[in-house]
Amino acid sequence: MSIRVLNPNAEVLNKSAALHMNINAAKGLQDVLKTNLGPTGTIKMLVGGAGDIKLTKDGNTLLKEMQIQNPTAIMIARTAVAQDDTSGDGTTTTVLFIGELMKQSERYIDEGMHPRVLVDGFEIAKRAVLQFLEKFKTPVVIGNEPDKEILKMVARTTLRTKLYESLADQLTDIVANAVICIRKPEEPIDLFMVEIMHMRHKFDVDTQLIEGLVLDHGSRHPDMKRRAENCHILTCNVSLEYEKSEINAGFFYSSAEQREAMVAAERRSVDERVQKIIDLKNKVCAGNDNNFVIINQKGIDPPSLDLLARAGIIALRRAKRRNMERLVLACGGEAVNSVDDLTEDSLGWAGLVYEHVLGEDKYTFVENVKHPHSCTILIKGPNDHTIAQIKDAVRDGLRAVKNTIEDESVVLGAGAFEVAARQYLVNDVKKTVQGRAQLGVQAFADALLIVPKTLAENSGLDTQDVIISLTGEHDNGNVVGLNQHTGEAIDPQMEGIFDNYSVKRQIINSGPVIASQLLLVDEAIRAGRNMRKPT
Amino acid sequence: MVGFSMQPYGIQSMLKEGHRHLSGLDEAVLKNIEACKQLSQITRTSYGPNGMNKMVINHLDKLFVTNDAGTIVNELEVQHPAAKLLVLAAKAQQEEIGDGANLTISFAGELLQGAEELIRMGIHPSEIVTGYTKAINKTIELLEELLEEGSENMDVRNKDEVILRMRSAVASKQFGLEDILCPLIAEGCIQVCPKNPANFNVDNVRVAKLLGGGLLNCSIVQGMVLKSDAVGTIKKTEKAKVAVFVSGVDTTATETKGTVLIHSAEQLENYAKTEEAKVEELIKAVAESGAKVIVSGGSVGEMALHFCERYKLMVLKISSKFELRRFCRTTGAVAMLKLGQPNPDDLGHVDSVSVEEIGGARVTVVRNEEGGNSVSTVVLRGSTDSILDDLERAVDDGVNTYKAMCRDSRFVPGAAATEIELARRLKEFSFKETGLDQYAIAKFAESFEMIPNTLAENAGLNAMEIISSLYAEHASGNTKVGIDLEEGACKDVSIMNIWDLYVTKLFALKFAADAACTVLRVDQIIMAKPAGGPRRGQQPAGMDED
Repeated sequence: MSIRVLNPNAEVLNKSAALHMNINAAKGLQDVLKTNLGPTGTIKMLVGGAGDIKLTKDGNTLLKEMQIQNPTAIMIARTAVAQDDTSGDGTTTTVLFIGELMKQSERYIDEGMHPRVLVDGFEIAKRAVLQFLEKFKTPVVIGNEPDKEILKMVARTTLRTKLYESLADQLTDIVANAVICIRKPEEPIDLFMVEIMHMRHKFDVDTQLIEGLVLDHGSRHPDMKRRAENCHILTCNVSLEYEKSEINAGFFYSSAEQREAMVAAERRSVDERVQKIIDLKNKVCAGNDNNFVIINQKGIDPPSLDLLARAGIIALRRAKRRNMERLVLACGGEAVNSVDDLTEDSLGWAGLVYEHVLGEDKYTFVENVKHPHSCTILIKGPNDHTIAQIKDAVRDGLRAVKNTIEDESVVLGAGAFEVAARQYLVNDVKKTVQGRAQLGVQAFADALLIVPKTLAENSGLDTQDVIISLTGEHDNGNVVGLNQHTGEAIDPQMEGIFDNYSVKRQIINSGPVIASQLLLVDEAIRAGRNMRKPT
Repeated sequence: MVGFSMQPYGIQSMLKEGHRHLSGLDEAVLKNIEACKQLSQITRTSYGPNGMNKMVINHLDKLFVTNDAGTIVNELEVQHPAAKLLVLAAKAQQEEIGDGANLTISFAGELLQGAEELIRMGIHPSEIVTGYTKAINKTIELLEELLEEGSENMDVRNKDEVILRMRSAVASKQFGLEDILCPLIAEGCIQVCPKNPANFNVDNVRVAKLLGGGLLNCSIVQGMVLKSDAVGTIKKTEKAKVAVFVSGVDTTATETKGTVLIHSAEQLENYAKTEEAKVEELIKAVAESGAKVIVSGGSVGEMALHFCERYKLMVLKISSKFELRRFCRTTGAVAMLKLGQPNPDDLGHVDSVSVEEIGGARVTVVRNEEGGNSVSTVVLRGSTDSILDDLERAVDDGVNTYKAMCRDSRFVPGAAATEIELARRLKEFSFKETGLDQYAIAKFAESFEMIPNTLAENAGLNAMEIISSLYAEHASGNTKVGIDLEEGACKDVSIMNIWDLYVTKLFALKFAADAACTVLRVDQIIMAKPAGGPRRGQQPAGMDED
């Protein structure tokens, strides 16, 4: 072999060996993720290097944590991760679809077909399915007041595949309300405006949506109030602590009085800044029993805290930068960077500010705000792995709702789309294709069936029965999906099972591309010294 | 070319070296159950008043002798991922309620054992999970029906009522000593109970462990016991005002580095004098404000101490920030940042501060009996460190129980009466179910028998006999019949006065069911190669060799 001449240490796989390696890897990965799909999928337990536990059903998390080494598998995993980046869901489906495309192709290749012809077929089928998807999708009118019901249905469909049913149903409301809360008309939705905070406390079903903000730290002074109502909120980024001068300075004094004077002078500039805030407080809170809260991104040192506490101000220091942005959205007002020209207009408002202590950790709740454009999903759970699981699910749920609003359409779920697309390919498209590329279309069509097939398999149903009854119904013109409990056909529209349009589109787009690339590989070369451990 | 071309099929080949992958019923689910069972076997024998103690030596060679499940599982450093889930559940219980960790682990273990039998019968784990979920929901309903009437009204300041609810929790840790410990704990808790009992803070009941003496020497102090001596020579003051300073009692210093600039000999002399004058001025100001005790959060300078002595001020040093805060709470003082004349409002008050010598250790006892109901200390005496540690855990459990009862004072019959009744009613419920999950519900019901079973076994009684007679009693309508462990007979709990808090039971059962369901839901385990670092758990140089 020519490569051997160039580099005697290189490892080469050619022709069918390379192809089979790819196919095997794709199938292997498919096998692992298969059991994850759908509401009846099972949970995987990942044990990290340090013995930490993670429980997940989410394909994306799984692929990230698994530390895959096989090159083909890495390629597929990357596509799946890309899928997650663009649409937030559908990772498992992507991997399954690619695996199935490879599996179907294997059959034809073993019969002597050239991969190139199959790839041509894939391309035709892909384009046809994308067109079909445009026709098949159900448009949703979003407008100014989005239809909450449909958003909830989409969120529920996603969440149920990640968590168990009762918890998923509860999160559905939370997720839908959160997105509606942060949505501003005419502006793209920024999901970062939903703060996701977690507390190790109580049970997973105690997770709640807070219209306001939860900060994961408390005031650092024992004499500050723990609970205050009707609060003016000052969001600022001003250092209220003594800072050493940049240049190397020193004091020279020759008596204790002089030194005392130095000590006082040293603090004066900080004290002045604090005084300005106290003045503002006295101005806005004079004559009423409103409270005043400062949330500062920079530090506040103990003497300043003491001054503020004496003035009856609640001060929080070292808030996270992202929270500063959210605070302004939630409470109103603006973030100030200097205390020189403080006005009442820069203050925000919250009806209730209180501190919650949990063991050693303190949390500050800012609630009852007027027009929240930012909110917090407070995840609770008895242990870290539950919290992590919910966190991943919430993220996916939020993405699903956002996608719906942006796509202005949804797709029928429960395998209905896949079966419909397959029937369309087999009955209509295939006939218009000339020559052997037909087989590529056929392979693509059959590969689509992996979704309903796996759903059925995970529910302990007979795959063949299910596929036959579903395709039968579709041929009769009924668009049906799979009922996981009974194995019968149902109308997803009635059951409220909807998938995201963009998720499906992304799957159809990326799956065949990567599968084609893998099929067209005819030589795999491993060279270089660091590829393998010295033996 | 080997290894590259001969790729084995499947997941194993795709992962990094050292990964382990377990999947399927036999490899994952049953193995997990096995591990959890092992864990619950360990804690089970410690359950109840007659539970055995465990001797645990952790990786730091510290010895624990305890029957507190929370401590045992914490120190065991469980490695198996599934068993870890149970440990996490127990920890959650410990954090949430502070008691009932053993119930959580033992019950979860029992549930999983039941699940194993069901799996061997051919029922799919997912069916078991639905069954168990249904069962726990029903259990919660049933538990509410079993509540003792009138228990929701309680006066959290009534010692007898508190003891009634606390007894079983303390007795399960220190059997036989509960009559000594409970009144102590109850008194300590009641003293610091704030106006709104729901705000009760566990931190306000302190424990001071002093070696020597015996349990009968245990006492309660209204105030704090500091494990240190006073700094100066004044060791005792009564009815005094207290000034608390966060920073040290010393000369002030600038943040920026200072240098004393001296040109001549007089200046040097003067400098020392001004310095002295300054400190004296400060100390004098404090003394004039009426304070008799100075508490410093940092260092106490030599010169400052000298002047304190001169002005007859007692000086205490508390270096822990939290301890200082507690001291402020005890005395009602406001901590001041800088040494100087305190405002009259910032001064605190103590009834007495005295340095006492207890069992060879010098401790400072700060008493504040009037109005200062914010911190109390239980002084524990015992002959060895491990006894003291164990007593402390019992006190912690008691205090936590007090906290729980402040929030929800309802209780249910103890001594396994509740469990048998739950088992009985849940079994009836399972007969009404039609699906496959009825088997799981029935198993869930049976699992409750574990509790009387263990109680009886640990007390050396015949478990089968006890359980059958309990069932018989309950069937005839005596729903409050439990086990009397001393006599080995079945008795009405209202005679024995054994009650368990409702919340403890509720959370323990819920956490247990949750953990069991999570273990059952897992069907694949992917384990990364354990991270490097020094190997722990190597055999400590042969215990029996030397």
